[in-house]
Amino acid sequence: MILTIASNQILALRRQTVFLALLGTLLAMTALAGVLGWSSHQTIVRVYDQAVKILATTGKPAPPNPITLKPTLSLLLNMVVYIPLVGALLALLLGHLSIADDETSGIGRLVFSRQITRTSYVLGKIACAAVVLMAILVASLLVSAVSLLIVNRTISVSDFGRLTIFYSLSWLYLMLFALVGMVMVLVTRRRSLALLSAIGVWLVITFVIPQFTSGLRPTSSLNPITSPVGTSQKFFKVTAYARDYSVAEQYKEASGRILNTATSESIGQTLQRVLPIAGLVIILALLAIRIIRKHDFSRSVNNE
Amino acid sequence: MNSSIKRIVTIARHEYRAAVRSKILVVLLGILIVVTTVSVYIASVDYASQLADYQLYRTSALANGLTRIAPSPLAPMSLLRGAMEYLEIIGAVIAITLGYLTVSRERANRTLPLIRTRPVTSGELATGSLLGALGVIGTLVAITAVVGVLCVGIIGHDWINATQGLKLFLAYLAAIMYMGVFYCIGAIATAKSKVAATGLMIALGIWLIVVLVLPQIGDTLDADNQIPGGLFKALTLDRAGETEVLKHFTTYENIRTWTEEASLAKHFERFAFAMTDVKERYRPFSLPKLLGQTRNDIGWMVVYSIAAYTALRRSFKRQPTIPQGGTL
Repeated sequence: MILTIASNQILALRRQTVFLALLGTLLAMTALAGVLGWSSHQTIVRVYDQAVKILATTGKPAPPNPITLKPTLSLLLNMVVYIPLVGALLALLLGHLSIADDETSGIGRLVFSRQITRTSYVLGKIACAAVVLMAILVASLLVSAVSLLIVNRTISVSDFGRLTIFYSLSWLYLMLFALVGMVMVLVTRRRSLALLSAIGVWLVITFVIPQFTSGLRPTSSLNPITSPVGTSQKFFKVTAYARDYSVAEQYKEASGRILNTATSESIGQTLQRVLPIAGLVIILALLAIRIIRKHDFSRSVNNE
Repeated sequence: MNSSIKRIVTIARHEYRAAVRSKILVVLLGILIVVTTVSVYIASVDYASQLADYQLYRTSALANGLTRIAPSPLAPMSLLRGAMEYLEIIGAVIAITLGYLTVSRERANRTLPLIRTRPVTSGELATGSLLGALGVIGTLVAITAVVGVLCVGIIGHDWINATQGLKLFLAYLAAIMYMGVFYCIGAIATAKSKVAATGLMIALGIWLIVVLVLPQIGDTLDADNQIPGGLFKALTLDRAGETEVLKHFTTYENIRTWTEEASLAKHFERFAFAMTDVKERYRPFSLPKLLGQTRNDIGWMVVYSIAAYTALRRSFKRQPTIPQGGTL
């Protein structure tokens, strides 16, 4: 039954062209990250060539080419920004539509006149979100690999492996927001309120919590590499304890380690960063299963 | 009072009252006020300690008979940087929500056909709604401004003077203008969509591109930002060398500049940062010179505002009065 609900939802998303819109947007973002990476590579090479000429006229020795200082996967560093900004909002929308459409169209009432348990219904919706997000991220992985091939002419097995792990982590992170989208539909009475509350949660996770725990200003969240403030201030002495649970920060930190663009650390430490994200996904899934049991689908038409 | 103005004022008052009754708006406002307070508090605590160090230096220098004492390098208004950034990001979402609610409320309550049976033109409806929304936005911005100034004074131990107050007023006026444009985007997108929620999604998509993606691309394309620590520093080039190299990158720099120019958020940010002393290079300038330096940003904000208002009037004129398809 879970599979039937999931495949039905995937079909609905395909027919509404939501799937195509999500895929197109995220692939455009991945391609943009690739173009920016390529542009960065070209700029460094051209600036270096000019700098060598200028330094030669002044008799100074040319420093080593800075391109060698850049890790190969840093070309795709912008994806670490686009996933929490664009990807998370799209995932939120995916989760929202999965349940809200059934409410507004009255399908919710019809479905439960059949022998379908509420648990299998919500699990089917979660499975649909998982499959759709996985398909989109696999496509993004391929676009990223092609971008690397174009710029670097080659891609090592190790780099491809790192990319695969990065996109797996991104999938987990996006699942978190798909579940937020679903839960918000189940806890609010109006569709618009559900969408705006979910966006409120996204704003808090992406911008507000990092400011509380690490003193990161909102625009710092647009930077792939973040440097948290020290804990000398009394305020941060207290809030820094919560930094480990700030999922947006932990996602960026773990991505930096996976893509080899940040100071390396042990696998155990990186895994520890992923745990809060995985934990939150499990908690939200359990919450959705619990809430849907009490959700009244019969009021859907009046409170659309 | 002219009857047309009277109708506009009535619609504006209705818009204001309806908006402050919305639960979701109150929640978003709450979030904005809390984060503004925290951001100014965090900056103020650090500032207070720097100010204490400076006062200590000043007292000791005076006690030792020194007559030439270095002026304080601290700028109290720069503590409001975080508050401005929150207005730029969360403020824009609040404005879009306001615009969305303006249209969806009348549709859901089935009051739009009723209003249009009265002698109210679509232009009056658009102007009245915008003025009401600007009233709500003005109230919200005033609350965050008072919270910000009080935090700087009480926690940072430095009260802003009259000139600084005027500059701050202009920065917050720009914030109202900036949010007004996003209000129009939210209302236009919702008015043009059969299902209001789709309009909200489109408006949020525009917000994402204008506020987050375009400025981020502009920053990423900066030649010096290509490697950590700065590309020119890694190449041991001084300022003259950097200028010489950049002569060969005029097209590239033009693309980068125009990418940033396309973002209203970037213009608001530049203007607000110049007015609140965030950027050190603007600190020595008098207000007229500051306005001259930021005339490009002011011009863009005015152009965007006029375009948004014109589009709002057009979309209200073409909006079907009878519900088409979904209502929310």
